[in-house]
Amino acid sequence: MAFALQVLMNALSLGSLYALAALGIGLLFGVLKLINFAHGDFITVGAYALIVPSAATQATLLIGDFHPLILIPCIVVVVVILALIAEFLVFRPLRNASPATLMIGSFALGFVIQNILIMIYGGRPKAVGIWSDLSLGVELMPGVEVPKLQLIIIGVTLVLMVVLVLFLTKTKYGVHMRAAAEDFRMARMLGIEANRVIMLAVAISGMLAAAVSMLFVVQTGILDFRMGVSLMLFAFIATVIGGMGSLVGAVVGGFAVGAVSILLQTFLPSEMRVFRDVFVFAIVIFILLVRPQGLVMSRASRERV
Amino acid sequence: MLEVKDLEVRYGRLTALRGVDLSIREGEIACIVGPNGAGKSTTLLAISSVLTPTAGSIIFDGTPIHGTRPEEVARMGISQVPEGRHIFTSLSVEENLQVGTATRSDKAEMKRDYDRVLETFPILGERRKQSAGKLSGGEQQMLAIGRALMTNPRFMTIDEPSLGLAPKIVDRVYEVLIDLREKRGLTLLIVEQSSERALKAADSLYVLRNGSIQLGGKAADLQDGKAVHKAYFGFSDDHEGEVMI
Repeated sequence: MAFALQVLMNALSLGSLYALAALGIGLLFGVLKLINFAHGDFITVGAYALIVPSAATQATLLIGDFHPLILIPCIVVVVVILALIAEFLVFRPLRNASPATLMIGSFALGFVIQNILIMIYGGRPKAVGIWSDLSLGVELMPGVEVPKLQLIIIGVTLVLMVVLVLFLTKTKYGVHMRAAAEDFRMARMLGIEANRVIMLAVAISGMLAAAVSMLFVVQTGILDFRMGVSLMLFAFIATVIGGMGSLVGAVVGGFAVGAVSILLQTFLPSEMRVFRDVFVFAIVIFILLVRPQGLVMSRASRERV
Repeated sequence: MLEVKDLEVRYGRLTALRGVDLSIREGEIACIVGPNGAGKSTTLLAISSVLTPTAGSIIFDGTPIHGTRPEEVARMGISQVPEGRHIFTSLSVEENLQVGTATRSDKAEMKRDYDRVLETFPILGERRKQSAGKLSGGEQQMLAIGRALMTNPRFMTIDEPSLGLAPKIVDRVYEVLIDLREKRGLTLLIVEQSSERALKAADSLYVLRNGSIQLGGKAADLQDGKAVHKAYFGFSDDHEGEVMI
């Protein structure tokens, strides 16, 4: 029982990170039909923004030293600004290009970001100890101790998802965004400003990336210019198996991928654990063979004739 | 109110419209009829600036609107109920209507228009909270018209309002459209495949075939049908005096 709970918490916290990243990707895909492969690099930049820009091997905290109430908004602002710059310099000029061109554009953007990071910070991973007391355990029940951070990750994810749902359903701009995601041309014909909706989606996607930056870097304690890439890969898989274009699907997919990873990590024989991701991908391929439309069918594709 | 002059639209190498002229007066119901692929929808999409004409001009109330953006055209008071209705199926009925008010900030009048739409289409009120994707075809058509009305337009274009609907519901839709002109002074441009109903409702009629206007004029002058028939099919049928379309 205690063991099961431990595994569950591991799965939920990893799934939370994937779900948050997948939401950021899914939101942008909704309005732009863009699979933003630079999303992972947005996450990386959010983490790097914590330290003094320098190539020194030893990281010195900059924003990372601020009080959390100042630190978090600062990181959010950095990533949102980066995302908006990406929109102006890359996505907007490609607005009328095919989705494939847009996707390749986002790949290119990702490489540019990674190389800028190498230029400024150097290519070697750096240790960054921030809020390390969060990794201390909390006793959930007798015999079950989980790191405080896991609870925070799950909690933050839940809160962000609730806030996002409230925004999308209860506010004018949220409703506009959902309309634009379903039928962009019709939304414009009704007077919804295309660029405004897109910028808003880009900004929210950036906020979600910033949240992942913080949670992820506190958990790993390491900065690496490629740290966002694998996260992005799993989040992308999550959106695909969840059902492209469905935000619920992105969340379901995120938790599914997280759960499968943790289960394999826990139950695979130790000598096979290095191949964990191979098994994850195999399961993904299997799911796509059985349900190519994804686990959750997007409502737009279920249109009544 | 709307002057279209020498309009040409191309899809790649294909010319969909050439030399189209329309002149729509304020407060009238104008109809464009024509066979499939004649360029009817293309004309409406060009008016809404979804398509950019390769030549010609579209002047609305003295302002050129060709080559602008769809959201600007909407802001100027032109609203479109497009082919296939394009309801937001993942939104509720209420939210669909709310999207129609995107350009507006006149809260009190928005509420008034909302109440008016629900009064015109009581079924939309009953289904307010339901997902719009669950509505029947006729209800979706009403929602599409209601949503267009929520933009508070002065000029509304409707692409094939009768498509896929039972005759009874088509009657109701036309009743509403005629009513909108009578009571609100709305100017309407309706596109239909069949000219029979269009002739009844319209003040002026245009027959579009192969991307150009074959015939245009006051509907009252075209009631005999022979000229319309010839313009529509490209040949006259002497055995049939009636319009069979």
